[in-house]
Amino acid sequence: MRTIRILALLLLLAPLPARSLSQEETDRVIRKIDEMERSGGDYKALVYMEAKEKDKTDVVYELLAYRRSGDQKLMFLFLEPKTEAGKGYLRLEKNLWFYDPRVGRWERRTERERIGGTDTRRGDLDESRLAEEFTAKWEADEKLGKFEVHRILLTVRPGVDVAFPTVRLWVNKENGVVLKRQELALSGRLMRTGYFPRWKKVWSESKKGEVWYAEEMRYYDEVEKANQTLLLVKSVDTRPLETNLFTKAWLESKSR
Amino acid sequence: MSVVASRVRQGRILLQMAMRNLVASRVRTLVVGGIVALGVVIVVLGSSLLDSIDVGMTRSIQGSLGGHVQLYNAASRDPLALYGGTMGESVLEPIDDFARLKAAALTVPGVKLVVPMGIDQAMVSMGNVFDVALERLRADVRRRMEQGAPADAPDYEAHKAHLRRMATLLQQELRAAREIADETSGVYRDRKADFDALSTAVEGGFWETFDADPLGSLEFLENRVAPLSLDGGFTFIRYVGTDPEAFQKAFPGAQVVEGSPIPPGQRGALLGKLYAEEWLKLRAARRLDKIKEARDLNGRRIAKDEELQRWVKENTGQTRDILLQLDPVRTREAVRRLQAALGTKEEDPGKIVAALLDTNDDNFDARYRIFYAELAPLLQLYSVKVGDFITIKAPSRSGYVSSVNVPIHGFVEFRGLERSALAGMMSVLDIHSWRDLYGYMTPERAAEVRRLKERAGARTVAREDAEAALFGGGAEVPVEPVAVKPFDEAALLLAGGGRQSREDLFRRRYTQAETDTGVALNAAVILDDPRRIGETMPKLVEAAARAGMKVKAVTWLEASGIVGQSMGLLRMVLYLAVLIIFAVALVIINNAMVMATLQRVKEIGTMRAIGAQRRFVLVLVVVEVVTTGLVFGGLGAALGIAIVHAIGWTGGIAATNDTMYFLFSGPALIPRLGTASLVTSVAIVFLVSILSALYPAVLAMRVTPLEAMQSDE
Repeated sequence: MRTIRILALLLLLAPLPARSLSQEETDRVIRKIDEMERSGGDYKALVYMEAKEKDKTDVVYELLAYRRSGDQKLMFLFLEPKTEAGKGYLRLEKNLWFYDPRVGRWERRTERERIGGTDTRRGDLDESRLAEEFTAKWEADEKLGKFEVHRILLTVRPGVDVAFPTVRLWVNKENGVVLKRQELALSGRLMRTGYFPRWKKVWSESKKGEVWYAEEMRYYDEVEKANQTLLLVKSVDTRPLETNLFTKAWLESKSR
Repeated sequence: MSVVASRVRQGRILLQMAMRNLVASRVRTLVVGGIVALGVVIVVLGSSLLDSIDVGMTRSIQGSLGGHVQLYNAASRDPLALYGGTMGESVLEPIDDFARLKAAALTVPGVKLVVPMGIDQAMVSMGNVFDVALERLRADVRRRMEQGAPADAPDYEAHKAHLRRMATLLQQELRAAREIADETSGVYRDRKADFDALSTAVEGGFWETFDADPLGSLEFLENRVAPLSLDGGFTFIRYVGTDPEAFQKAFPGAQVVEGSPIPPGQRGALLGKLYAEEWLKLRAARRLDKIKEARDLNGRRIAKDEELQRWVKENTGQTRDILLQLDPVRTREAVRRLQAALGTKEEDPGKIVAALLDTNDDNFDARYRIFYAELAPLLQLYSVKVGDFITIKAPSRSGYVSSVNVPIHGFVEFRGLERSALAGMMSVLDIHSWRDLYGYMTPERAAEVRRLKERAGARTVAREDAEAALFGGGAEVPVEPVAVKPFDEAALLLAGGGRQSREDLFRRRYTQAETDTGVALNAAVILDDPRRIGETMPKLVEAAARAGMKVKAVTWLEASGIVGQSMGLLRMVLYLAVLIIFAVALVIINNAMVMATLQRVKEIGTMRAIGAQRRFVLVLVVVEVVTTGLVFGGLGAALGIAIVHAIGWTGGIAATNDTMYFLFSGPALIPRLGTASLVTSVAIVFLVSILSALYPAVLAMRVTPLEAMQSDE
């Protein structure tokens, strides 16, 4: 009898298997990520970008990232180094344009564009639209370092153009921010791993709420193992931007 | 009687007997002589062809890009490969200061010219046809906004009309796709907005209000309509960055076939003609050229050749490229011209162009002429023409992606390598543009990168430790509300520094010192006497070392990489072929001589029986053979020379494929007589004839008169 009691106690003390998230709960986690990062208006960030590649000199940039929630517009404007100043990317509708003031021409680019030749993609600095672009599936609850996380697999919805069709996220259970992100090719091959160790939030008047942003983003190339990219968001401004900012003419005028 | 007089008399008798023997056995003499003559003809022809091929290929490579000697940084990981290696472009360490290397190399006796070079591949953005047309209209709009809108602007109106027509064509094309699409699918719904946008771009209302908001209208066309045209993109270009003036002097094989050379000291490019043909030419025109070549040179026929049939089918099915180029005025003109040329009343531009391109063996030549005489003048046959600017983009040495605009001054062809896919694709770029693309990491640039890193306070986290370092024991996910930090982009942009205007860049004329000072990847050295390559190479290395530079010197052949290797292989095959021809000729001559001499055993025995000494008989045989060899060898040589000249007069041997074109260094091989190889080959044939006759003669002499007279014929 005593043995049975001990066994029962041990069973009670033993860690319970993680309860799986229902589809509804999983979708809610993903929607929460989008909502936390949504600026609900205009957003401007000063970003430091550093790329390391095998046998190459490090490439560093300082750039401004502008975005507008309503019509999903996005623009990057490179500030430094001097040789890169004035180059920019502009996303309008489903088009990603690249402008180089040195040649004064606009070029159409794809979602797979490596921003400034680094391992950064357009989506890394854009507003999160996970729920709109992917379907989510809970995989497991586990620990990432000392943090309790949900592991969720995302698969791209038909007809949506994204850089990677499959994404795996490690979402902090406590506050709902993404800590780790794996991006996979259609074949299932792991292409890139991202870590987001530091998060900040800023008040947005247009959203009437807080906008969360990863202050530090680290991407490790899983194909070219020696390659990695670091993004540091140095400051953020959520005040309204000029109305005509997301136009080719504006970027050209700033680059002249 | 003196000994000398006796020898002379003996000699005369010997000669008389030899001649009488030769004349008496006319048939035998003619057969043996004919064989010797044939051998000499073959050898003269073979050696002339080989010589001509060798000299031609050498001249092609030396005169196009190779020079005599090539110098490059000794610390380079890869060997220099001017035409690319099997693993792509060679990775070469740069020559930091070309001017210093040039000065050092010019101190070496016999060095005539030193030309800087940098070879690389890059992308040329072509855009889709819509993007190109829209870019043209955007330039018009920009100009009108800066300089004011003139009352009469025919170009601007024509560009607008052209775009409207392009939208109409695209709408017609997509209408068919819509008719078979599943209207309930998500993709259909997603694309409905695009189709609606296209309808707007076709409507008159859109174009009537275009001028009220030209920038907004352009963005509508660029972002909503142009993406529907799924063509275009970019193409690769391979170029040599150089000092165009020095290049022109050093490489006479590089000929400007259209346009003009890059003006001295200025920026610009000459596009490789073959590159332009393969990548920049209107696809229908290129296919017509290829069909013509296949028919004329290789004797292929559309009716019997699946590939030619496929090209014809592609031409008739893909008229869109042509129609998109034609604005409404040109469309009407094209229809009018084609109606007259083809004798049809067809009004539909698509159908009449398709009818023109629907070729068969009977009508091909006529249709080809009509295309180039009637339709081509209304079209832009190449996506880039002389006077245009192209944008070249390449990942630079410093890691950043560099782009430059370069004006196209003309098209260049490398003599003898026009059809070589490896060598003929090369374009020529001024060294200043090349240096911009190469993006050498100067100490100033490196310092700027260091300063940016320090300012950002970035730390490196190794992949292996990333999770532990970022989310381990001490890590937290700090979430702090931060105050909005305003910043002024204008001030930040100013900190980036000013840029030289693009127009200034193209007007600028660089001095020779500015052209020479700076980085290069290799240097072509031209010598006064190409025979001194071997002895000059170590002197060049020493001279560079004295100037504090460690360089490697390689011959033009070593530097030619794959082209050099294929040339070496072709040479080997040719030498082997001539060796076989030689061997066959010698065996035939040898057999003929042995047989001819052995037939005379009885005759020799008789001569010995009536008192002829062995030595006398031997010399007699040798004299007969030498005489036959001299007379018929001479005739053979004369015939060989005549054939070589006759081939030349009739235009040479035509190259019927690209390998032959490369081998012949041009469209036909015109063999030339190489004196040295001619004399050597005739001498070898002659010597072998004598040796072939001597052995059976010695055998014959060993026969006793009795044995000889008893033997059967």
